[in-house]
This record gives sequence, C-alpha cells and structure tokens, in this order.
Amino acid sequence: MSVTPEKLLVVNDLSTTFATAGGPLPAVANVSFDLTRNETIGIVGESGSGKTVLSRTIMGLQPRTNVAVTGSVLLNGNEMVGTAESVKRGLWGTEVAMVFQDPMTSLNPVMRIGKQIDETLRVRLGMSKQDAKARAIELLELVGIPSPSQRYDAFPGQLSGGMRQRVVIAIALACSPKLLMADEPTTGLDVTIQAQILNLLDELKERLHMSVVLVTHDLGVVATRTSRIVVMYAGRIVEIGSTRDVFANHRMPYTRALLESSPKVSNASHTRLITIPGRPPNLLKLTQGCSFAPRCAYASDKCHQERPELQGADQPGHSFACWNPLPTTRGDSAS
Amino acid sequence: MLRYVIRRILMLIGIIFVISIGSFFLIHLLPGNITAVIEGPGASPENQAKLYKLLGLNRPIYEQYFVWINNILHGNLGTSFISQTSVATTIGNALPIDLEMMFLSQILAFAAAIPMAMRSARKPDGIVDRFFSAGSFTMLSVPPFIVVILLVLFVTYKLGIPHTGPSSYVSLRADWIGNLESMALPAITLALGSFVVYFRVLRSDLIATLQEEFITMARSKGISQRRIMWRHAFRPSSVALLGAAGVNIGGLLAGGFVVQYLLNIPGLGYTLITSINTDDYLLVQGIVLVVSVGVVLINFIFDFIINIVDPRISRE
Repeated sequence: MSVTPEKLLVVNDLSTTFATAGGPLPAVANVSFDLTRNETIGIVGESGSGKTVLSRTIMGLQPRTNVAVTGSVLLNGNEMVGTAESVKRGLWGTEVAMVFQDPMTSLNPVMRIGKQIDETLRVRLGMSKQDAKARAIELLELVGIPSPSQRYDAFPGQLSGGMRQRVVIAIALACSPKLLMADEPTTGLDVTIQAQILNLLDELKERLHMSVVLVTHDLGVVATRTSRIVVMYAGRIVEIGSTRDVFANHRMPYTRALLESSPKVSNASHTRLITIPGRPPNLLKLTQGCSFAPRCAYASDKCHQERPELQGADQPGHSFACWNPLPTTRGDSAS
Repeated sequence: MLRYVIRRILMLIGIIFVISIGSFFLIHLLPGNITAVIEGPGASPENQAKLYKLLGLNRPIYEQYFVWINNILHGNLGTSFISQTSVATTIGNALPIDLEMMFLSQILAFAAAIPMAMRSARKPDGIVDRFFSAGSFTMLSVPPFIVVILLVLFVTYKLGIPHTGPSSYVSLRADWIGNLESMALPAITLALGSFVVYFRVLRSDLIATLQEEFITMARSKGISQRRIMWRHAFRPSSVALLGAAGVNIGGLLAGGFVVQYLLNIPGLGYTLITSINTDDYLLVQGIVLVVSVGVVLINFIFDFIINIVDPRISRE
C-alpha cells in the first residue's frame, strides 16, 4: 500500500457520455473537484443537471453498456475510471457506499431487510451467520430503528418510507465506508422525515469519521450541512466554492436563480416563488456557448458563442463559469 | 397470510364441488346406451331394461349424483362395465406414470430455462441472447407430435439406441433404468414445450428486474454478479414463471396424451383415449374428475408458492 493520500477523493476532468439513439449524450462533462477527509460537500442543481450520473460515475457504478467515462477519479488513492468491475467490487461498501434516492425502490421488495444488511457483512467481511445478524441488529439500532431485532425479519413493504431510508443507510454503513455518497437521500420522503434523516447522516458522519458527498436539488438541505458546494448545470460545474461564498457571494446567475427559487422563512406568506424561465437544455443539442445562456437574463452575444471556463473568484477555492458575473457583494475587502 | 390460505381453501372446495357436478352430468349428456354395450349385440329389450334398472339408471338423476359422490368420498369410483375392474385401481396404476413424466419433464425444462434465461438477460440482444431467443421461438412453433416423431427417428435410427421406440414402456418398479430409458423421449418432448414458455417468461422478467434500482443498490454492496442474479433478481422475477408453470403442469396431467398415445405409454391420457373409444363411461368420468381436481390442486399449490416467493401479493 502507498501512503494514505491527503485527499480522500480527487475528481479530475471527469466526463460521462451515454451512447443513445440520438447520438452521444454528455451527461457529465469535465468535472473536477476534490474532497478532504471528514468533509461534507454538496452537489446541487436542477433535475437533469447530471448530479446523479456524476455521483454514480465517481463510484464507478454507471451502467455497464453504452457509456464512456473519461478523466480520473482517485478514491483514497484508487483509480475508479476504467477499472474492472471485479476490482471496484472490492472498494464498494468498504471505501465508498451509496445511499440511494428512493427507499421505495432501492430495497429488494422480496428480501427481509435483515438479510439485505447481513449479505454485505457476510460476503464482504466474511462474518459468520450469527455475527452478521448481531451486527445487523446493531446497525439497525444505530440508524434509529425501534425494536431492531423484530424489524430484522420485516420485508421492506412493512416499513414506512423514513424507516426504509434508515435501512438503506444501515446497509451503506455496514462495512464502515470512508466515503458516503448520498444521492438525494430525502427526496422520496415526507418533509417532516427529511430533517430526521439528514440529522442522522450528520450525526453518523461525525461518529464514524466519514466524508459525505450530499447530492440534492434543495439548497436548504446543503446550507447548514456542507463546507463546500458544487453547483451543476447541464453536466458541468458552473460554480464551486465554500458554502458561505456560494450563498452570500455567488457570481453565476444560475446559482442566484437556484437560490431565489427555494422558499425562505423570511418571505411573507403566499409569496410567489421565483422560477427559472425555460427548461434545462437538451444535452443532445448543446450549443457552442454557455448552456445557461438561453435562460439567463444577463446573457450577451458572447455567452451564446463561447463557453466560459471556470475562473477563480476573489476567495480561494471559489470559482465560477460566467462571462457576465454578478457583482461581488463583498466589495474590495477580499483583495 | 393465514386468512388468505383459508379463503383459498374454501374457494378450492367450492370449485371441486362444481367440477364434480360438471363431470357427472357431462357424461350423462353423451349419446349411446350402456346396456347395449354391456349385453353386446342381439340383446333383448327386456334384458336391457332389466339391466337398466339393476344399474340404478332409472332413478332420478340427482339421486344418482348423490350415490355417486358418496361413493367417491369413500374412495370408490365404481367398477368399469367393460373391463370389470375398479376404476380407482385403473387410475391408480396410470397416474404415477403421468406424475413421473410430469416430474422429469419439468426438472429438465427448469434446468435448461433458468440458466439460459439468466445468461440471456445479462446482455439482452447480445449474441447469446439472440441465439437462445431464436432457438426457443423456433421450438415454440413446432408441435409436440412432430417433435416426438423426429426424436424417435433420431434416437433409434441415427443413434441406434433401443428401448426408446413405441411399445417399450417399462414400469418403474420392474426396472428403473429401463423405465428411465422408456421415459426419456416423452419427458424430453414435454420438457421442450415447457422450456420454451419458461425461458421466454423468465428472460423478459429478469430483463425488467435487472433495470430496478435495488439491483444497482445490490451492485453497490460489492457482491458478485452471480449472487445478484440468484439472490436479488431471480426471486422477484419468478412470479410469472411460477404462474406459467402452474398452468403448464396442470395441462400436462392430461395434456400429455398425444405423446403417450404415440409412444404407447399407459398413463392417464392414454387410458382416457382408450376408454372413450370403448364407451367405458365410468372410467372416462373417473379420469375427468381426477384430472380436473388435479389441475385445481396444482394451481392452488402454485398460487401458494407464488405468495411465499413474493410476499407483496397477499399483503395487498
């Protein structure tokens, strides 16, 4: 083994392109970012912005056929791009695990939940049947499921959505992964349950010393739980920076539009939410210019003709991709 | 689950009652006079009338039904007018042959269909899948009586193996190796028909299941492809397969008669055809009843298995 790398995750120029009947579809294009140990990073964007594909590609969990991945993902020093599934299998569960979006579909409906947790322990850690069962019940308890030894024998259909998502989390945690990919972990749940699940993830992250990639379309979710935020649009990073910078000092009009479209407590009741006009572009018909230009109020001719690359903002680690960035609210204090 | 089972059992009793009425009256609708058959040509009308009364055929039909059903509940299916042997004994001799044929053919069909469907579903429209699918589709369009004749020709003439042609049935008790030899061709013929159905049903369900999110989730646990297929994909994909198997196996109980007739295997189907030809209506009635009840029971058992395999069904 080489020395433990300082960064747990280094994503460099990662692109995922699907071969479709309509031609190549660039679902993720030239994404680079990294993650230090015990850090939580948020990936936000509208539906179809490539968040889920990105998180699966980082894990190497993209479909096996009709997909081309280029670039590099170094996960705790292990290259995930172009690696055989048999090798990646040895990293899944122990190095990286995923909490899936919809607990209604991500658990096997005809397998008792205990067996679904056991399986990982027995196959991956070689535990005996008794040990695995005891550990599975411990895990169920850890994720806050009441009377875990009875629930062990339940089928997913006998549990509520929130309980199922706790089971999904228990499965992900079974082999103590160093990195947890949480792909919209609360989207399929009631609002009241969402906060519980997110708090649980936060608590477990601290307790088990994990890093977390939190994928969501809900900026409210990432605001207090992440140290940095990646904003994605049409498969590309359009802004990246510390959570504070992205919220308070964003430069990319898309980021502002996203922020304005989420409800705020400070709004008077019955305030109409601001929506982003138009729809995300068809990834099969991308133009030369900025993908957001057709929906952007600040778009100039240049925006339609030439794609902006990420450029550094005034704070270290904060970059954005825009020809006509919003003025900085910080003034000159940073320089 | 328990309530479900009780409800199904009550339904089962009702269905069997309706079947018993059906098979009883159906035979009485048939034309022909049994007394003429028993007494042979040239019997006097007086003697015929006497026999008619002796057999109780002059009593009201509902009385005849109650006598008949009462006997059946005591295991007495009557004595054939033609052969003077007990119908229950005749059926008891023939039924194990059908059951054996059914068992062998289903083992073969599942043993081929399950691994082939899994291989196909791994890469739909890949070379292997196209080959398997085209092959199964070809077999689907060839009826069993053609298959069995081709098989006989191939095995006896090309391979020169005896004991496989017609009139060579060996009973299981007498000589089990000889029995397996004589059962091989009918079992393979019936297996081919079942295999085609099972392969196609399981293949398409597996392809659908493998798209499910819980399969990706299973993959992300780092378990092998093989384990995902058997532990995660197979069970939720097997409901339609079991449904098809239930109907198919029920059909085989009597439906193997073409193959039995062609190969001279004295199973229920074969006996049914001979008894129809000789107007042995008590035997026909008995076989119809046994086969119908058998079909209903098999369907009941498969319904039950499906419920265990997919607990979502009885919960809804």
